[in-house]
Amino acid sequence: MVRKSVFLFLTALALWMAGPLSGSAADSLMLATTTSTDNTGLMDILAPELKKDTGIELKWTAIGTGKALEMGKNCDVDVLLVHAPAAEKKYVADGFGKDRTQVMYNDFVIIGPENDPAGLKDSSVLEAIRKLGAGKAAFVSRGDNSGTNKKEIFLWKEAGLAVPDKEKWYVQTGQGMIATINVATEKGGYTMTDRGTFIKFADNHAGNPPLRVWVENDPALFNQYSIIAVNPANCKNVQYELTRKFTDWMTSKKIQNLIGNFKLLNKKLYIPNAR
Amino acid sequence: MDYILSGLIHAFELLFQGDPETYSAVKTTVLASSLSVGASMVIGAPLGFCLGYAHFPGRRLIRVIVDTLLSLPTVVIGLLCYAFMSHRGPLGGLELLFTIPGMAIGQTILGLPIVVAMTATAVENLDYRLKQTLLTLGTDPRQLLLTSLWEARFALALAGAAAYGRIVSEVGISMMVGGNIKWHTRTITTAIALETGKGQFAMGIALGLILITLALLVNLAMSGLKRLSGQ
Amino acid sequence: MNKSLYHLENLTQVYRDRTVLDVDRLNIEVQTITGLIGPNGSGKSTLMRILAFLEKPAAGRVTFQGRPLSQVSPVLRREVTMLSQEPYLLKRSVQANVSYGLKIRGISDTQHPVRQALEKVGLDPARFSQRSWRELSGGEAQRVALAARLVLKPKVLLLDEPTANVDRESSELILHAALEARNQWGTTLIIISHQLTWLRQIADHILALDYGRLTRVR
Repeated sequence: MVRKSVFLFLTALALWMAGPLSGSAADSLMLATTTSTDNTGLMDILAPELKKDTGIELKWTAIGTGKALEMGKNCDVDVLLVHAPAAEKKYVADGFGKDRTQVMYNDFVIIGPENDPAGLKDSSVLEAIRKLGAGKAAFVSRGDNSGTNKKEIFLWKEAGLAVPDKEKWYVQTGQGMIATINVATEKGGYTMTDRGTFIKFADNHAGNPPLRVWVENDPALFNQYSIIAVNPANCKNVQYELTRKFTDWMTSKKIQNLIGNFKLLNKKLYIPNAR
Repeated sequence: MDYILSGLIHAFELLFQGDPETYSAVKTTVLASSLSVGASMVIGAPLGFCLGYAHFPGRRLIRVIVDTLLSLPTVVIGLLCYAFMSHRGPLGGLELLFTIPGMAIGQTILGLPIVVAMTATAVENLDYRLKQTLLTLGTDPRQLLLTSLWEARFALALAGAAAYGRIVSEVGISMMVGGNIKWHTRTITTAIALETGKGQFAMGIALGLILITLALLVNLAMSGLKRLSGQ
Repeated sequence: MNKSLYHLENLTQVYRDRTVLDVDRLNIEVQTITGLIGPNGSGKSTLMRILAFLEKPAAGRVTFQGRPLSQVSPVLRREVTMLSQEPYLLKRSVQANVSYGLKIRGISDTQHPVRQALEKVGLDPARFSQRSWRELSGGEAQRVALAARLVLKPKVLLLDEPTANVDRESSELILHAALEARNQWGTTLIIISHQLTWLRQIADHILALDYGRLTRVR
């Protein structure tokens, strides 16, 4: 009786597993991307459209730029969608990536509590960074080698300051963007985020977020997203043809419009700029 | 506090409205954990038997090593698995990364020490008269192993339950080896990690409650099996 | 080439530097009933375990059917079975317990033999087959254990104080069943017992052990 029950269960399980374990019949493309494109929900919009238009099934892991680049080096993914132009250019120059293609952009903003304890109102970005460096309020950093993090570190350098790694008020979460924003909210401090994620955050709070934008529209805060194909010369196993199809699709007029029309709270999260 | 309450309500909604993302996560969890608990038991029980039954030089040392492996953090296992399964690693050609079988392998590494240690203890605690009885009735070594394991089945069931508990609740391995890919390798636990990372705490609680419900169902089934087999 | 079923020569067994058995010479013939008596700790159970192939002696010669121990095949070893003092059953039903020996020998048709064996030990199959191991008294359990051995129609049946821990009724049934085995199938019996009177009645030889040394009585 016991043996029968166990046997029946195992058979049922085996049949049930046959589907997911047999590997997809359709072409499937493995993408590594940032937490911001995932958190905003953009990927959830794009994936079904891609399947419809090209038959390609998109699988993506949202892990942050640093890790995505590493995975590309290890040949574990076919394509990257990241936002760290300096690192990307070096990546391609070093031969790990190929066909770097601009897709969309938005900008970074520095957000903080309503009462603005560090007095960032009306500052330029570098002025703001210097004010933050005084340490009157907490500043929460991604601390995870992501595109956002790389930009933040770049700004500290541009402002002529060392990254305040050991300061008490400098909080490094090592986590994704929304998690980091939540920490900033809890601590009544500031953080730097891409505008798309901030709009999503505001949407989560029904249009009334606990933190607001204090510094924006500075050219230094430009945030470019690009697709990079993992170099087939470096990785025999990557699906380069599928990646080309994907890139062409992402830069097609139809999808560029789709990206441009992706809105939350009636605001655009990304602005398409494929050439 | 309102997280917990809204989490509770949300859990019911997700389950009874048949939310596809939730069911996908449940399915992935069930698949991966079934494979890994099964493998842990099938590989671990005979190994644990040998450890508990035979007296060989170095037995004590091996037992200490096994017991120490009980404390392996899941992120470390996940990292090691990634290193091996990555295309840059030795097992890259097997395409295990970002798959359920890959996760299951990692989880088996997690469950094996539990099963081996608990089986060894169960076998050590077997009535000393069992071996003599089986030998005098004419068993060969294979029959001796299988019958002894069956005689220890209630202790083995506990080992299975312990392995299941640790496996179904882990995040580190699923995250690193599976990649938390929506619809494919997102388990209940990696989904919880994602949702809490996004600040969606109620959703996290809801998923947590669903996980507990799953565990409850499994243990009810185990209890039923125990009843059938004599306890 | 010795014609005895068992032939023991200069047999010694040692536990932790203590010599527990020291037998110069012993022959046991086929289809005989041998009684084994002696005080506690005299080495009776040890001798029995050696005869049951459950223990290897420290030194000395043992032959079974003329063959030295090392040449006794597993198939031949299976013809020898022992029943120990404390009733011990597998954690399964009475039916499953009694049929176990048959199943591991590849015999799947066990219904009839099991029923016969249970009847031999005075247990009504209709009432007892489906009982679980937990639901038996000490005497019933020991009877089931005996049935599990009788069902194998063994060449040699070793009984280590089979009636020490059981009630009167079970005791009689057990001894009766053992005798029947000898009479029906020619099973050789070796029995450790304190019931000297009964042994004298049925045994062909009675051996006495004291501090591991053997003397023949009767």
